[in-house]
Amino acid sequence: MTIWSRFAKWFGRSEDDALSIPPLDGKLKPNSRLDAAERLLHLPQIDNLALDGARLICSSGDTLFSVDPAGWQTAPIRSFEGHITAVAVSPGGVLAVGVEGRGLEICAGGAWHSRNLGDANGCITAALFRSENELLVTVGSRHHPWTEWKRDLMSRGASGGVVSVNIASGEARVVRDALAFPYGIEIAANGELIVSESWRHRLLAMPPAGGLARVMLGELPAYPARISPASDGGFWLALFAPRRQLTELVLREDDYRREMMATIAQESWIGPDFRDHANGDQPLQSGSVRQMGIMKPWAPSRSYGLVVHLDAQLQPVSSYHSRADGHMHGIASILEWDGHLYIAARGAGALLRLPLEEMT
Amino acid sequence: MTNSDALTRLRYRFFSGRLVGEILSKSWIDSAIPVAALAVVLLAMAVLVPGIFTVAYVADLSRQLAEFGLVALALTIVVMSGGIDLSVGSTFALCVLASLIGMNVLGLPLGVSLVMALGTGAICGTLNGLLIGYLRLRAFITTLVTLVIYRAVYDIIFPRLASAIVGNTPESTLWDYLGFGTLYGFPVSFLIFAAIALIIHMTLSRLRPGWRLRAVGGARKSAYNAGIDVKRTVCLAYASSGVLVAIAAFLFSARLGSTGADTGIGMEISVLTAVVLGGVSLGGGRGSVGNAIVGALLVLILTNGLIRMSTPGSVNQLVLGLILILAVLFDAKWVKNRGKILSKVYVSPTYLALPARPERQDDPYALNDRLGVVEPIGLGVVEGPEDVVLDADDNLYTGTRHGTIVRFFAPDYGRSEIFARIGGHPLGLAFDRHGNLLTCVGGMGVYRVSPSGSVARITDETNRSLVSVIDDSRLRLPDDLDIAADGRIFFSEATIRYEMADWVTDALEGRGNGRLICHDPNTGRTTTVLRGLVFPNGITMCRDGQSLLFAETWACRISRYWFDGPKKGTREVFVSNLPGYPDNINRGSKGTFWVALLGLRTSTFDLAMRKPAFRRRMARRIAADEWLFPNVNRGCIVQISETGELLDVLWDRDGKNHPSITSSCEHKGYLYLGGVSNNRIGRVKLPNADPDWTAQRDYWGQA
Repeated sequence: MTIWSRFAKWFGRSEDDALSIPPLDGKLKPNSRLDAAERLLHLPQIDNLALDGARLICSSGDTLFSVDPAGWQTAPIRSFEGHITAVAVSPGGVLAVGVEGRGLEICAGGAWHSRNLGDANGCITAALFRSENELLVTVGSRHHPWTEWKRDLMSRGASGGVVSVNIASGEARVVRDALAFPYGIEIAANGELIVSESWRHRLLAMPPAGGLARVMLGELPAYPARISPASDGGFWLALFAPRRQLTELVLREDDYRREMMATIAQESWIGPDFRDHANGDQPLQSGSVRQMGIMKPWAPSRSYGLVVHLDAQLQPVSSYHSRADGHMHGIASILEWDGHLYIAARGAGALLRLPLEEMT
Repeated sequence: MTNSDALTRLRYRFFSGRLVGEILSKSWIDSAIPVAALAVVLLAMAVLVPGIFTVAYVADLSRQLAEFGLVALALTIVVMSGGIDLSVGSTFALCVLASLIGMNVLGLPLGVSLVMALGTGAICGTLNGLLIGYLRLRAFITTLVTLVIYRAVYDIIFPRLASAIVGNTPESTLWDYLGFGTLYGFPVSFLIFAAIALIIHMTLSRLRPGWRLRAVGGARKSAYNAGIDVKRTVCLAYASSGVLVAIAAFLFSARLGSTGADTGIGMEISVLTAVVLGGVSLGGGRGSVGNAIVGALLVLILTNGLIRMSTPGSVNQLVLGLILILAVLFDAKWVKNRGKILSKVYVSPTYLALPARPERQDDPYALNDRLGVVEPIGLGVVEGPEDVVLDADDNLYTGTRHGTIVRFFAPDYGRSEIFARIGGHPLGLAFDRHGNLLTCVGGMGVYRVSPSGSVARITDETNRSLVSVIDDSRLRLPDDLDIAADGRIFFSEATIRYEMADWVTDALEGRGNGRLICHDPNTGRTTTVLRGLVFPNGITMCRDGQSLLFAETWACRISRYWFDGPKKGTREVFVSNLPGYPDNINRGSKGTFWVALLGLRTSTFDLAMRKPAFRRRMARRIAADEWLFPNVNRGCIVQISETGELLDVLWDRDGKNHPSITSSCEHKGYLYLGGVSNNRIGRVKLPNADPDWTAQRDYWGQA
């Protein structure tokens, strides 16, 4: 820190610095590899890729689907009374589904039963089995349900946390709270928990029993979502929407933000999103104006597609993009399986596949 | 509307901060700060030294100013050329010596002595000029060396002639008149100074040598590339500096009649202080005679005041030195940061509340995709066809951002040619009675293109308003025009605060920056008809021949203005609360009008328009590409009746083909679409239109 920024901080001006967004550079240099990827199937709001034995499952809205790799046809497994927000499968075949407003729905040995997590029911963002009987879930917010995630961001919410659930007894233990929308969880080789804290644009590592968290990868240029393991010992990180200076500004403009939240429909707010909505009321930034029939790839769009390959130390190795002129936006879930990378582009409603050997 | 909204509106109506930016953008702001400093010093002296400003003092001050000011002018010329002259003090001393040798020792006539003094000054100055201009030595070192050399020459000659100088007094009444005489109450030397200052001012600001000097000082390389003889200009700057110093020395000699060993010592510092304090930039290229005089006055009054307060001479020098340092520091920071400050404060948003839009299901303007099937014309051939118009032979004309008017040939419009080269981006287009094409050209004015393609200017200025800080006589962004039956041309100027390239920034302000202007070809006069319009854009004549419709883009409304008849001078809202931002308005068949909507209103932008402080912070703190903007990635055409009822709505929902439609033109059953940021013209068949209708006939009859 230079002496000047020290002074600036002293006078309470450090917020100014926070308006700058880290550039997409180095390993995060933009490309169009997600748009070039093979599109396997179309399913609106596709999300939550998971592997149940040799069966690929995914969710769309309130329905859980299984995907047949033979012809890429989907078959519904079960519909729930709310949006599916998280899916996890244990090595032994126990299936856990986070359903908005209902909590956890668990299927062990063919029978479904519910686990109520109280005020965490609305926003279970990711789940991971640590053992056959222990499920780790990230709770994005205890104040807002998942469908109101944008309200949580705009309220500068930090009510999320990591909860350990005993499958048999239903007992829930808070591992860590006061996180700003944790959206993904994975376990590192040394047993530490890796959690993506979306509203603070960073990855945290914390001891298995909870405790002091370390920032492993901060200053991300986009909002991180779920993390999944990679076969090389590293991780795949999905980032669901880009950060924009305008969003950061609005997050500091209390008066404007309050009135926006009170008077305007959520999908028309300034801020990140999985995709543009077709309701004709979408905010536009001046760099996104279509010029001479062309949308510039570097336009400040609300949505973006970004997948980052991290090494075991959680440092970026390579990245896969769908830029402002592309459509494979809003990626929140990735699965590496059988020599391929499966990517659920929720914004586009598409399941993408990239062969691993072509990746560098 | 809540109370706080009403307060916000009032605050921004009267104190929007617009003037700060406008004043900062004026070129005289460079001089305003030294003038303010002078006023402060005058006031301080009047308080600290009571009774200082007597008639005798002012007379004495004006004589001192004559000599000191001339040297300051000399240095100003050199500094403006990008150099510096430290040898002014020694040159001054040598010239004083030359004058006194002429008058006192040799007893020559005044004219010959003057020539001797001027010659000495010219030689000293030219020597500097040759060394710096032609031999490309560094100005600082060179004049430092000549400072020592000229002083040494003075020190060698002066002691040998000292007694001869003091011993003789010249018998010349003119000499005494020069030193002590007054004319109409003014000291003669001051009048001479005033005359010279005026001549130099004219030369620097109005004549070619002055412009060349500024060019060389401001950007040496560019001046060279522009064909200016840089070496000669620099050399002449030093030579004229020497001559000016010589005149000052001659006046000094006439006043004192003798000289001493310390004549001119330390003069370079006080003169340099004066010049920099006056606002002449040490970087070169910026400064004026006024700056030099203000600076000279400042330094003289300061030193005189300090002497009156019995400050020792050394302290005096110390104070002067400190002031010089501060002035240099300020100069450097000012030149560097002025543009930055300006760019931060110029954008000054104001409060603009638009009425709420009806719920989507009740909205008569609901989205559809009727423009999704538009047939493109000139795809990739034209860039930025803001307006489109067709002639009697069905040929299609449009302006492009390359500064041309392109003509597409009927019937299939596959073939095109450049019809006329304008030089600026042609926006609104209209044919007059005689088949001439009239166009509003962004950044230029209103132009006429004859059927043969020759271009002539109609007007590029209007009357200057009395209370506007920025010069609003020049046309910055004429946008659309239409022609009344009697030949008068009415046109809109979208904003007077931004150039063509920055028109989007005006959206952020939401203020009535635009106006409606009328040009009368019979008198050749251009006059502003209405001011304070919110981005007035499209204009079209009503069929009553007495009124016109104009669109105010950011206010999302269309107004009607009567320029003739019983309601002359009145204006009323015709259509308001549009779903998007109206651009050009054109006549349609069956007595209707077509309105092009540039884009779509969004709730977030409407909210921002009610939060000027938010927009101001946005403009200051984030990059222009990241600013919130109306959603102009959609296109829409609206048809309205003669009385303002909505008849039809055509949307391009996805905005792939025709986002930001800025213009439409109905012609023989088809509608042609233009867009300022598009690379194509669109054509769509109108099912219910009169297949024979053309605007040409509607305006000017069958002829």
